[in-house]
Amino acid sequence: MSTVTAPRTVGKPKRSLRARYRDWGNWIYLLPVLFFFVVYMAYPILKSMWMSFYDYQYLSNSPASFVGLKNFVNAIKDPIFLTGIRRAFYFTILFLPGVILIPLFLAILVDRVKNPRLATLYRLILLLPAVIPAAMIFVLWRWLYDFEIGPINVILRDYLGLFNRFNAPQWVGTSPLSIPAVAFVEIWWGLGYHTMFFLAGLASIPRELFEAARVDGSNEWQTFWSVTLPRLQPIMMILVVLRFGTAMAVIDDFMIMGGLNRAMPTYTWTVYMWHLAFSLGSWPHGYAAAIGWLGALAMLVVVAGLLYVFRNRD
Amino acid sequence: MTSAESSLAAGAAVKRAPAVHRKRFPWRTVGMHAIIIFFCLIVLIPIAWVLLLSFKSLRDAYTGNLWPEQFDFTHYAYVFQKMPTVLRNFSNSIIVTLSTVVVTTVISILAGYALVHTRLPGAAIVGAALLATLFFPTRLVSIIGIFQFQFRLGLINTLPGLILPYITLNLALSILIMRGIFQQISPELVDAAKIDGASSWRTLREILLPLAANGIVVVGMINFVTAWGEYLLARTYTNDKLMQTFPVALTSTFSSYGEWAMPRVAAMYVMAIAPGILAFAILQRWYMKGLQEGALKF
Repeated sequence: MSTVTAPRTVGKPKRSLRARYRDWGNWIYLLPVLFFFVVYMAYPILKSMWMSFYDYQYLSNSPASFVGLKNFVNAIKDPIFLTGIRRAFYFTILFLPGVILIPLFLAILVDRVKNPRLATLYRLILLLPAVIPAAMIFVLWRWLYDFEIGPINVILRDYLGLFNRFNAPQWVGTSPLSIPAVAFVEIWWGLGYHTMFFLAGLASIPRELFEAARVDGSNEWQTFWSVTLPRLQPIMMILVVLRFGTAMAVIDDFMIMGGLNRAMPTYTWTVYMWHLAFSLGSWPHGYAAAIGWLGALAMLVVVAGLLYVFRNRD
Repeated sequence: MTSAESSLAAGAAVKRAPAVHRKRFPWRTVGMHAIIIFFCLIVLIPIAWVLLLSFKSLRDAYTGNLWPEQFDFTHYAYVFQKMPTVLRNFSNSIIVTLSTVVVTTVISILAGYALVHTRLPGAAIVGAALLATLFFPTRLVSIIGIFQFQFRLGLINTLPGLILPYITLNLALSILIMRGIFQQISPELVDAAKIDGASSWRTLREILLPLAANGIVVVGMINFVTAWGEYLLARTYTNDKLMQTFPVALTSTFSSYGEWAMPRVAAMYVMAIAPGILAFAILQRWYMKGLQEGALKF
C-alpha cells in the first residue's frame, strides 16, 4: 500500500484543533461513494449474513425463524454444494496458470518489438477482447463451440477430417470438456488485459539492469530469472490473488454456457446459489445466503493464505 | 520512459551496429513476431467469424461452410425493421450504460481526489477498505439482499434498479485507479494553487482534471464494458422482456430459427460489440497512456 495519503505538514508542525476539525469537511467528496458502498454493498452483505441464520423462504408466507447454524451444517453435508466447490476449484486450477503465464510470456515478446507502430498495433489487437463485455464473449463462444455448426467442429470435421459426425468433440453441455472449454474462453478474454499489466511492469524496469546483465555475460534465460521475474513479482502476486478470487466466484459463464441444469459439469456452487435463491422451490434465501457465505469464506481462507505466502519479506 | 520510446531508442542503436549483424537472417525476430501474430490471430479470428456470419445467407449459416456461397446484407435492416423489442432492449442498454459510466466516473474522480490531494482523516483506512473489497466476491454475496430491498422499493424491472447496482460493481476499482492517477500528480501543484487562493473544488476542476484525462478514459472504458454487457444482475433484477437489457435478450435466444435465426442474432451481436470497439479505437491513445500512467499500479 502506498503512503502518499499520509498528511503533509506544511509550515507549522502542529495544526490547530479547528483546522483539523475542518479536515472532516473534505469527506463531502466521499459522500456519494459512501452512499453506494453502504446501501449497495455493506447493507446487502450484512443482510445476507443475517439471513443465513434464519430459515427464510422468500415466497413463503410463514415467518422466518432463527435456526442458528443449521443452514451451514446442511450446506456442508449438501453433495451439490460440495461438488460445486470442487468444480469451481477445478476451473480455477485450469484458468489461473493460463491467465498469468501466457500473458507474461506474450508481454516479454511484445516488449521487444522495436517498430513502435507494430508495437502499438499488437497491443490494440490483443486488447480487443477486453472491450467486449462478458456476456457477449460467452454468447460468441457458445456459437464457436456448437457441436453441429460451430466453426471449431466444422474445421476439425469437414476441413481436417479428424472426426466425423458421431465422434466429434462435444465442447459444452454435459461433456467433461466443458469446464476446460470455459476456462479457455476466460483465458482468451483476459489475454490482452493481463498482457498490459505485465507490459506496464516491464516498462518500469530500468533498462540499465538489462544492460548490466548482458555485460555480465548472462544469457536471455538467466536475465529473465535474475532481472525480469523478480521485478515483476509484485504484479504477479497481486494478479494471482485477485484472479483466484474472481475464478472461484465465476457464475455468468456457467449460466450462459451450461444453464441451470444440475447434470452439467458447469453447475458450480455459484450457479447452485443463484438457482436456489431465484428459481428453486419457494426461493430459500436463508439457505442460499449460507451457501454464498460459506463459498466466500472458503475463498477468503485461500486468499489470506496466498497473501501470507506472498507477503513482503523485505 | 514508455516502452515505445525505449524501443525507439533501441531501434536507433541497431542502425549504428556493424554490418556483420545486419547480414545474418534475424531468426529470433521473425520467430518472435510469428508467435505474437499467432496470438493476435487467436484473438481476431472468432470476432471475424461472427462478423462474417452476420453477412451469411440463412442457408449458409446452418451448413458447415466457413465461407458462404451467398452473401445476405439484409440482416441488419431486418433487426431494425422487424424486431421492435430488440430496439427497446438496445435503448435500455444505452440508458443504463451511459448513466452508469457518467455517475461512476464523476464520483470516483471526487473520491480519488479527496484521498490524495486533500487532508482527509481516515484516508488510509478508506484505501485499505477499497482494496479489501476487491478480494471479496461482493457481487455474489450481495445479490440476494439487493434483490429484496429493490423489490420492496419497486425497483425490480426498472432501469434505475439496474443502474444503481451497476455503479457499485466497479466503484472500488475505479476509485483505486483514480487515486493511482492523482498520486502521479505532484502535491506541489496543488499547494501552489491553494496559495494562489483557489478553493479545493477549483483546484480539482481547473488544474487536476486536465492532467488526469488519461485515467478518466480508463475508468470510463472499464465501466462501459461492465455496464454494457452485464448479465447476472440484469437477469436477476429484470424479467419483463421490454425492460431487459440487450445482453440478456441476446443470451436467451440461442440457435433458434425464424426471427431469431443465427445470422440475424449475429447482426445484433455485431451491433452490440461495435460501440465498445469504436470507443476503444477512438480513445486508444489516451487509454494506453492511462494504463501506463498508473491505472495498473495499485
